Amino acid sequence: MDELNLDTLLKLIQSADDTERAGARDRAGIVGAAAVAPLAKLAVEAENLEVARAANRAIQNIVYHAGRPGAADEAKAVTAALVGLLGTKHAQFRRDVLWMIWQIGGEDAAEPVARLLDDAEVGDDARMCLERLPGARATELLRARLASAPEAQRPAVAHSLRVRGVEVAGFPSQKLTPTKKTTVKPVGRA
Amino acid sequence: MTRKHQGVPRRTFLQRAGSIAAAGAALGAPQWIPSGALAAAGRPGANEKLTVGFIGVGGMGGGHLKGMVGRMKQGLVNIAAVCDIDDKRLENASRTAGPQADCYRDYRELLDRKDIDAVVIATPDHWHAVQTVHAAERGKHVYVEKPACCTVEEGKAMIEAAHKAKIAVQVGSQGRSQPEAYLAHRYLVNGNIGKISQVDCFHYPSPVGGFNPDGDAPPELDWDLWLGPLRWRPFNRGYCHGVFRWLMESGGGQIRDRGAHVMSCAMWWMGADGTGPVEVEATGEAPKRGLWDSAVTISVKYTFKNPDWVLTWNQPGEPVPPEERTGKEPGGAISRPGYGAVYRGDKGTFVHWGGDGGTWAERKAREWQPGPGAVDVYRSPGHMEDWFEGIKTGKRTIMNVDAGVDVAILTVLGNLAFRLGRKLRWDHSKREIVGDEQAQRLAGRPQRYPYTL
Repeated sequence: MDELNLDTLLKLIQSADDTERAGARDRAGIVGAAAVAPLAKLAVEAENLEVARAANRAIQNIVYHAGRPGAADEAKAVTAALVGLLGTKHAQFRRDVLWMIWQIGGEDAAEPVARLLDDAEVGDDARMCLERLPGARATELLRARLASAPEAQRPAVAHSLRVRGVEVAGFPSQKLTPTKKTTVKPVGRA
Repeated sequence: MTRKHQGVPRRTFLQRAGSIAAAGAALGAPQWIPSGALAAAGRPGANEKLTVGFIGVGGMGGGHLKGMVGRMKQGLVNIAAVCDIDDKRLENASRTAGPQADCYRDYRELLDRKDIDAVVIATPDHWHAVQTVHAAERGKHVYVEKPACCTVEEGKAMIEAAHKAKIAVQVGSQGRSQPEAYLAHRYLVNGNIGKISQVDCFHYPSPVGGFNPDGDAPPELDWDLWLGPLRWRPFNRGYCHGVFRWLMESGGGQIRDRGAHVMSCAMWWMGADGTGPVEVEATGEAPKRGLWDSAVTISVKYTFKNPDWVLTWNQPGEPVPPEERTGKEPGGAISRPGYGAVYRGDKGTFVHWGGDGGTWAERKAREWQPGPGAVDVYRSPGHMEDWFEGIKTGKRTIMNVDAGVDVAILTVLGNLAFRLGRKLRWDHSKREIVGDEQAQRLAGRPQRYPYTL
């Protein structure tokens, strides 16, 4: 396969040929941050589901590649490109982006992620992303969220803080509290 | 073999063998537990019936339930409850379990039952760790399907919770408990192929699929509870019953599904429980199309040190054609020849096929007769029975939580090295990835609240 650059990546990732498309997806990492936004456009807008999926997974591969040891500048550039996608209208894609940001993002990513905490569709994913981002800023933002979040969301925020090693008073874990009932009755019971 | 064998000491084995023989070697019958055993705190006495609940009663869970019903009919256990997030499966399970068993959708309601001693967890992989931890925190003994965990973080939490609660955990890598697994283990431990330097596992590829678009979950299915700890996503049948294992998040492909069997045998037979590799490297190919993203082909090399040996997972690798059999061997006919492993020693090789509920050892291991001074190894009375023994006596189960987690971690690290496209270094003493900050992050993942560890 020829050397991959941004143009060939975008061309091949839209190929109807499975092998070409998958090959581009799997080598996308070397193209780096410059490919994130154009791939995102394909991930959201491509009519061919396989093209959209390949574009999405190509971004993930860029995240993996840029996250390798000794590539801090690449990681920073990819994180910035991902942060630039947080305003996309496609909720599931916003969610995917948040889940990539916690895999690679640094402290700088915390503020833009926190701005999504009130997002009706991916607010909880933003909380989970903050839970895993390094640095004190994510902790500060979660602390602030604990004070300001709607009552129903506060136990989850407390949980995220505890995952980060922060002691939180109150908000006992609800993880063992049953919430769902079945209508199935024991078969054969009188 | 020059390495010290780390399996069960011979004296312990002889004590076990004696107690089993004294009870008529009734496989599957807890009455072979010494009748004088006293109940410890939180532990039923040897002659008390266990009361069991089932969490996840589909494919594997349904099979376990049927097996347990057989034990219930023998008066050995009580089945108090069945639980599933799919009402159709739950109703089928109720029919199997009998009218005395209560039905639940939410496993936490089942865990609240004070009368339930133990639970069998056979949910999709992404639930194993969370439910094991929660069961431990409710003081229940746990039989959990393999692979034990989806992340390193989950595995460490399972170990911590199980140890803290002092419960017996059996991970469902039942290959260790098969009759021919005992013969293979004994054969290898006695140095019949010399010092073993490499174990090469082979398995056919993972499938490609998941071509349907997202849609609405069927009314009988609680999609939120199916997802549990996973990030939210729209329903798609390509994620769900039976096929969840072809997604990295909820399964991870053949290396996870069957690797948790074949590599479990390797770790047990090599006396490598309690150890881990120092390096993991992988190559492979992801599906070219479809929803499923687990590697179709994958080759992983695990390098162990002190003692030095190499474990490889090869999908497909070089499958060894199955030997001819009469079907009257301890393990019967070979019904799944497409996976197994080749053990390479300095005096020869040894092959087994399967590694799960079907484990078939090469003829030379089956026919080998121990001479004077030969080392014997632990012979499991059956995977479920070994768990019962662990519950009643406190002994370590054959696939205890530490061993189960460590095998699952092998599969996790293999997939992670493949996804990242780089070699990983591993410190087993801390169960941590070394020198790769991103890989360290990916050794865990956030979980949807409240489905958390």
